[in-house]
Amino acid sequence: MTALVRYTLSMTVHGQAYLPPLILWASAVVVLTMNDLGPLTGSYAACAMTLFVCLTWLTAVQVNTESQTQRAMTAVAAGGLPRVFVAHVLAALVFSAALTAVGLVFPIVAGTHTVTAADVAIGATAQGICAVTGIAAGLLCSRPVVPRTGYAVVLALLLDGFLLIANAVPPVGPVVRGLNAGIPPGRLAGHAAVAVALLVLAVATASAVASRRD
Amino acid sequence: MIELRGVGKRYPGRPAVLRGVDLTLRPRDIVAVTGGNGSGKSTLLRIVAGVSRPSTGTVTGRPAPVGWVPERFPAQQRVSARDYLTHHGRIRGLDTHRARRRAGELLDRLALVGGDATRLRDLSKGNAQKVALAQALVVPPELLVLDEPWSGLDASAHATLRELIADVAGAGGTVVLTDHREAVLEATATVVHHIDGGRLVARTSTVDTAVVDLAGSGPPPWRGMPGVFEAHRDGGVVRIRVDGARCDELLAVALHEGWSVRGVRR
Repeated sequence: MTALVRYTLSMTVHGQAYLPPLILWASAVVVLTMNDLGPLTGSYAACAMTLFVCLTWLTAVQVNTESQTQRAMTAVAAGGLPRVFVAHVLAALVFSAALTAVGLVFPIVAGTHTVTAADVAIGATAQGICAVTGIAAGLLCSRPVVPRTGYAVVLALLLDGFLLIANAVPPVGPVVRGLNAGIPPGRLAGHAAVAVALLVLAVATASAVASRRD
Repeated sequence: MIELRGVGKRYPGRPAVLRGVDLTLRPRDIVAVTGGNGSGKSTLLRIVAGVSRPSTGTVTGRPAPVGWVPERFPAQQRVSARDYLTHHGRIRGLDTHRARRRAGELLDRLALVGGDATRLRDLSKGNAQKVALAQALVVPPELLVLDEPWSGLDASAHATLRELIADVAGAGGTVVLTDHREAVLEATATVVHHIDGGRLVARTSTVDTAVVDLAGSGPPPWRGMPGVFEAHRDGGVVRIRVDGARCDELLAVALHEGWSVRGVRR
């Protein structure tokens, strides 16, 4: 699996299509957290929201790097299409970890905040939840699931828009709003479980739909 | 032994591509599937390789590792051919050093034009085909599935391809391939099947072959002999695959020319 994740990361980085979502993320993080004077969790809410959208885009781009034939060849070498999708998830998590690290430190450096370990831990968890949900959404909008780019973009906008706006639908909306309002850590654990469940569901759906088309 | 029983394939909203295919593939077989465009031979090969799942029927006994070479290898990445193959070697369980060496060996043998640092997106069709072939052979496969492997390859690579196919079969693997030129297949394959309208038509021929190992020097007396499918040097011996009916004739000529017989297998 390490070799497969390394291959996936290498193909993504060589493709350069990963740059637009990263630029979006970096600009949004800078604009939304620079010189911020409010509570630190408020800045982390902005980072988490941005990370969610960025990871949706980045994951879809990463899966779309390989043509259908190439993906089938990789699946033969790796021992099945589900393993290819799991590798995509792990590679996207590598990106998520790096972006979360920056998203935790940058608001502290760029703004004026009272920093507590508890706030940083809550920020890390919230960004993790949003990244994982973003990866799940990205898998569902990738070419093996939705072959036409136009439909995939519309689906991504609807999916991300709905999850961000819907206050009652876990995990992204309640977490982002909860950070501003002071969410209890117990509730975060529940949302994290929902995010992981969504990701497992997305991997299963993507594998099933893609293998039906092969 | 790979067995297909009652295999059918239907894509949603389209007529069936394959219907009721029964096929047995044995180790050391070089199985050719012939048929026109749209006859379903590519789909059959995808099912044999495990790329596609059959809609009906079962496939049992597929060995690992499998090498699959598609008819076309579309790749738009900036990664070099060598790095791509090294990655594939690692995915198949080699360490980086061995994967890189094996990738270099295969690309040398296939004579990739422009060298192994060429990016995938810059490869011509024939050279992309060579990379796809090398990808399937990075780890010697137990099952090698080739969809029209000769299309786009230059003449010098044809001989190499035949050698590589013979290597896999010689090591106990199974090779399945297609081409629309029956003559090419007759010269390479040990079993030929014909496919028409998604159904496997009774096998058109089974060539009884023998493998003869010879040691010696001088001009090879089997060159141009009828019934000799291929010959390649393997260490100190030359391994020749020959039509079973012509085996004795080959042995007589070789012994007469001063070559020594090291082994004969049917």
